[in-house]
Amino acid sequence: MTKQLGFYANTSACTGCKACQIACKDKNNLPVGLLWRRVYHYSGGGWIQDPDNKDLMIPNRVFSYSISASCMHCQDAECVKVCPTGAMMKDENGIISIDADRCIGCRYCEWACPYSAPQFNEAAGVMTKCDMCKDLVTQGQNPACVDACPMRAIEFGDLEELQAKYGTVNAIEPMPSGEHTKPALVITPHKDAERVGAGTGHILNLAEEI
Amino acid sequence: MNTNEWALIIFTVVLQMAVGSFVILGGVHFFASRRSGIDAADKLSDRALLAIGPVVVFGLIVTLLHLGNPLKAPGAILNVGTSWLSREILLSLLFSVGGAIFAFMQWRKLSTPTVRNVVGLVVAVVGIALVYSMAMIYRLFSVPAWDTLATPVTFFITTFLLGSLAMGAAFVANFWYIRRRNLDTQNVQYNLLAGSLRWIALISIALLGLQFVVIALNLAALGVQGTEAATASIEEIAQQQGVILGVRLLLLFVGAGLMSVFVYTMVSSETKLRVVSNMAYAAFGLVLVSELLGRYLFYASMVRIGL
Repeated sequence: MTKQLGFYANTSACTGCKACQIACKDKNNLPVGLLWRRVYHYSGGGWIQDPDNKDLMIPNRVFSYSISASCMHCQDAECVKVCPTGAMMKDENGIISIDADRCIGCRYCEWACPYSAPQFNEAAGVMTKCDMCKDLVTQGQNPACVDACPMRAIEFGDLEELQAKYGTVNAIEPMPSGEHTKPALVITPHKDAERVGAGTGHILNLAEEI
Repeated sequence: MNTNEWALIIFTVVLQMAVGSFVILGGVHFFASRRSGIDAADKLSDRALLAIGPVVVFGLIVTLLHLGNPLKAPGAILNVGTSWLSREILLSLLFSVGGAIFAFMQWRKLSTPTVRNVVGLVVAVVGIALVYSMAMIYRLFSVPAWDTLATPVTFFITTFLLGSLAMGAAFVANFWYIRRRNLDTQNVQYNLLAGSLRWIALISIALLGLQFVVIALNLAALGVQGTEAATASIEEIAQQQGVILGVRLLLLFVGAGLMSVFVYTMVSSETKLRVVSNMAYAAFGLVLVSELLGRYLFYASMVRIGL
């Protein structure tokens, strides 16, 4: 098997501070509207109102957790398959990136990706996405998001090594199931993490955050 | 109103109409030549055939406007191995070039009718493959509202419904052109026109019925699926855009249903030919608008699963 680099996300440690998101935006000089890494706040539960005292709300199974997600550099990537020009490529390290010179901006990958990884740059007329900070990685450094995390909740490395260390969970709510695209991701689930497809909560982020 | 995908709405509807027109025209020509001879059949269909050309060219130019970088568009055929989008573009080009070659042969009466028929048949098969590839583009697991059998079925309904009605309108225009020049000896063209319109009316009514069933079944299937994305798609089609859905269905019913019934029953009476002609134009116009609205709803229903 060829090499596959991947990300690790510890959702039980993530505080949702978005330092990774900002580090990514800064490193890649992303214009307004583009976020190659996004932090989603997922929350659920409810309250029971005391019938005799309407001001008294008793919390019931309230939970909240955050998940930092970028491109998953999937092993069976839909974006690579559907791209009509071959501009979307998977390299020898398993990193998926776009050759901007060949991209025609048809936005088909945007429809196909369930992680919102490929994003359209209106000004340039081409798709853009996370390339795992390829330039830093080839110099032996970490991607910007990894080093920015104050909780050390994001790691990156060889997928098999990450899996040996942290297991093989690659999806929790509100992420899509990993069965279609085999994302190169390992997650340590938050203690309240909900199983994919059995979610009771919803994403709290404001529209302008994502 | 979300009109982001207006270029794709026009491109897909127009190209499907062109494929449908080509196939229907081939069928009409086949039966007309058996009934009244090849010359009469050519007279009925040649001008209609030439009318398809500009429509295809228009569709192909419009689709470039969907791209962020139209100048690099030729690269879009490079990934035919895995990308249905590449296959669609390649087949669009083959259909256009093949159709142009066939039209030129037919217009100048090059080679024999048999050879022309074979070329026409090949182009028709390419056209059908093109509509299929268009539908497969939208079979994305990430978009439940698109990833259903309804997508190819609806695309083919659009193809043959619009193709039939477009050709009906074209035959009518061609007929009056011939009449004005007094070229219709012994009413051969009138009889061919009446026969074709009757079949076109029947096809339209059948496809109209199928379309209503597919729309209902598809909404029901998405409802049963019950995922967040599928539910959001239904909300978009049936509630947010409910008025547009209603207008689309009404236009479809009036154009492909009521008017087809009138055309079918009135076309045998030559005195009512003016009315029938106008109705054939109107039916085409109404259904074209309805199909454009339907395609608009199709793109509006795009809700992805996941993040």
